[in-house]
Amino acid sequence: MAGQRDEGEGRLERKELQRTLGAVAAGWALPGLGHVLLGRLRRGLLFGGIVWSCFALGMAHDGRLALRDAKQPFLTGLQVIANLGVGPADMIARVAVYGSVVYRMPPATAPDAREIGETFRRRAKSGVSIYGTAYLWTAGLMNLLLLFDIWDLGRRRGVRR
Amino acid sequence: MKSHFLHMLLYATLVATFFGVLMRDTTRGRLRLAGTIWLVMVVGALLLAYLMFPFPE
Repeated sequence: MAGQRDEGEGRLERKELQRTLGAVAAGWALPGLGHVLLGRLRRGLLFGGIVWSCFALGMAHDGRLALRDAKQPFLTGLQVIANLGVGPADMIARVAVYGSVVYRMPPATAPDAREIGETFRRRAKSGVSIYGTAYLWTAGLMNLLLLFDIWDLGRRRGVRR
Repeated sequence: MKSHFLHMLLYATLVATFFGVLMRDTTRGRLRLAGTIWLVMVVGALLLAYLMFPFPE
């Protein structure tokens, strides 16, 4: 009897874990969707609106889509992680800007090195790029924080004032 | 938009709203936290700018 109950609880726990992990993945793929899938529609729409607004502002202001540079691997690596926080939208943005999904500064011998390097520098030199870069990084980092919020909601944790 | 000041206001509003809703569950708590973050960001930046004013570029 007790064994059956334990088995049932274990199944429920596994189902809940899968649901939460699915919501986290959805939240990364489409900011705001993870909350919506957990039944937090208003929260999802608001957070999605904020993250997407930040991302759009970043793209509109020539925000730097970071490329990992072998000369500064740590800092540029962190920048790439911040960009990746918004999910596949970052990849689409890279295709639009660089022509392909590129995450590291290509070596000088690569055929597309010059074109990518020039695009990167042109955007960085734009007068509004500092604003755009801040918006892009903020959008990605906010969404990464939201993934923890989705996890907490899914696991029914997090009592706040 | 090239105005640094308007960007600062917009950025502070987005960040304050985000953290207000994320960190608090009551409307009153959210408004208080968002307001505090917004004021710290905007007034803090203006204060810092004022303190740096005498220094040359």
